[in-house]
Amino acid sequence: MTMIKATNIHRKFGTGKLLVHVLKGLNISVEEGEFVAIMGKSGAGKSTFMYQLSVLDEPSEGEIIINNVNIKDLSEQEKTEFRLNTLGYIFQNYALVPDLSASENVMLPLLMRGLDWSSAKDIANSTIDSVDMHEKYNSLPAELSGGEQQRISIARAIAGKPKILFADEPTANLDSISGKQVIDIITKLNLENKQTVVMVTHEREYAMGCNRIIHMEDGLIMNEEKLR
Amino acid sequence: MRNLRIGLFLGWRQIKRSNIWASTLIISVVTLTVINLIVISGILNGITDGVLRDVRNQALGDIAIKPADDETRIKNTQRIMRELETYQDIQSFTPRYEESVTIEANYNERRDLSVDRDIIAVNIQGIDPITENQTLGVSTLVNEGEYLTKDDRGYILIGKHYVDKYAKEYGDVFDSLKNIEPGTVVKVSNGYESREFTVKGIINSKIDMVSLSVFMPELDFRRMFNRVDYDANKILIKLKPGSDSQAVVNRLLSNNVAGDAKIELFEEGIPKYIKDVTETFNFLSTAVGTISIFVATITVFIIIFINTLSRRQHIGILKAVGINKKALQYAYAFQATFYGLIGVSLSLLIIFFLLVPYFIKNPIDFPYTDVELSVSTFELINKCLFLLTMMLISGFIPAWMIVRKNTLDSILGRK
Repeated sequence: MTMIKATNIHRKFGTGKLLVHVLKGLNISVEEGEFVAIMGKSGAGKSTFMYQLSVLDEPSEGEIIINNVNIKDLSEQEKTEFRLNTLGYIFQNYALVPDLSASENVMLPLLMRGLDWSSAKDIANSTIDSVDMHEKYNSLPAELSGGEQQRISIARAIAGKPKILFADEPTANLDSISGKQVIDIITKLNLENKQTVVMVTHEREYAMGCNRIIHMEDGLIMNEEKLR
Repeated sequence: MRNLRIGLFLGWRQIKRSNIWASTLIISVVTLTVINLIVISGILNGITDGVLRDVRNQALGDIAIKPADDETRIKNTQRIMRELETYQDIQSFTPRYEESVTIEANYNERRDLSVDRDIIAVNIQGIDPITENQTLGVSTLVNEGEYLTKDDRGYILIGKHYVDKYAKEYGDVFDSLKNIEPGTVVKVSNGYESREFTVKGIINSKIDMVSLSVFMPELDFRRMFNRVDYDANKILIKLKPGSDSQAVVNRLLSNNVAGDAKIELFEEGIPKYIKDVTETFNFLSTAVGTISIFVATITVFIIIFINTLSRRQHIGILKAVGINKKALQYAYAFQATFYGLIGVSLSLLIIFFLLVPYFIKNPIDFPYTDVELSVSTFELINKCLFLLTMMLISGFIPAWMIVRKNTLDSILGRK
């Protein structure tokens, strides 16, 4: 099943003489269970493209259909709920809420979905276990290393079993060991759980576990490299 | 309900784990704001309450019985006073007899007849010293010399505004006598005769009408003015605490007192200048209070707004992962209200356990009265509720403004 179908995606910023045309008509489809990496030099438009696909931004032109839902048809409120129920996010800077413990950070989207406290806590803690962060349930983000925070971020992203997982340069702020551990977790999710993943990365070595790599340059897709 | 639950959860966690100094600052601002709001208007209200209290307790009583229109004295005073003795609500009452006299001092020392006599024109009042003290506490106002006793003969009390050493503080406003001390002999003249009286005490009150009084014992007064009837010029009544003045007046009217006299509640007898003073300070209290509330609201809004703005990225991230806008708004509104509740509670503790007792022990020495902090419970509750409501809105509005912004712009810190 096609999870993501993006057609003729343009994204422009500013107007008149200040107009910047970042994405210049991109087309992409991602099948269920695929692990797709988007790579390119800085300024290629990788993150901007991923923001469109992950319903964090709205394209200036084009159409995006995710899980058979045309994103253009959704209101702001519906987009928020769509992200809550369908998508998962791993941000470059971990993006954990500093006031909440590891367990509470993972629980939050689950509570928002309507789960009761006890159920949300059980799922959160078991998800935290699955990313090898045993006994860190009550730690605050400030008490965790970068790699540990990113693993909690992954746990938050996958706890609700999202249809698609988006990872925006998840290893950018990590050392090589932590970075490899994070990529291993994401790859394992894809291989074992058939999790659909779209990842932006600079590091080719981290993209080697993907099904294919989309190369971008100057707002265009230059080529697609099939790996497996 | 779910949004409210999530909002309260987020808000509580933010409060629990926020920087202690930032929280202390916010709570301190709220506390000081409430104290400022209450104390400033409390002092202004204290001025009006103090003036009215002193006028009631020292000059007018709770109810005044005065001569009927076209009369100069209260007819059947004795019958009325016997009637008053039967009223359970009346704590005490005192009749006053008044005549116009002149009082001259330093007449023995006057050698040069071309120099003006040291003489003033006053209304002198004959009193029963015991009932007068029970009703208006005059003995507590005598700051030099002594109060009158029932058996005193040949003594008067004189108000400080008639005594030069006090009156000159007010410039040339009052006619006064020089060299007056307790023990000074003065000549009281009613146009037909003059008699010498010794000044037994000087009355010192912040209420002008009291400091412009001259009292002599009732028996001396009758002899000097040949008042063979017992018809008083005024009867002042003090009620027991908690009594209903109007009910007492209604009963007096129903017992036909009105045929012989006019009955006036304290509020009806307040002199115009005192009404003007109290109205002015009431206006100031309202104006200052209103401005203070707005300043307080804006101060709190700015603090909460900056606090919320500093979390713009977190708000964006929470929106990104699917947290509803309303939940985020509730979180910040809850935070602001929580800080408001703590601040208001602390300020109330400070006001009622520190400031009010302090001002009772150390009232402000104001020209018209001693000022305590006057805090009406109703007004206090109103102001605190209003401020809490404003704090709730102060927390809600910044959050509303920020959650409306584009999610990605918030995450990336773009304007």
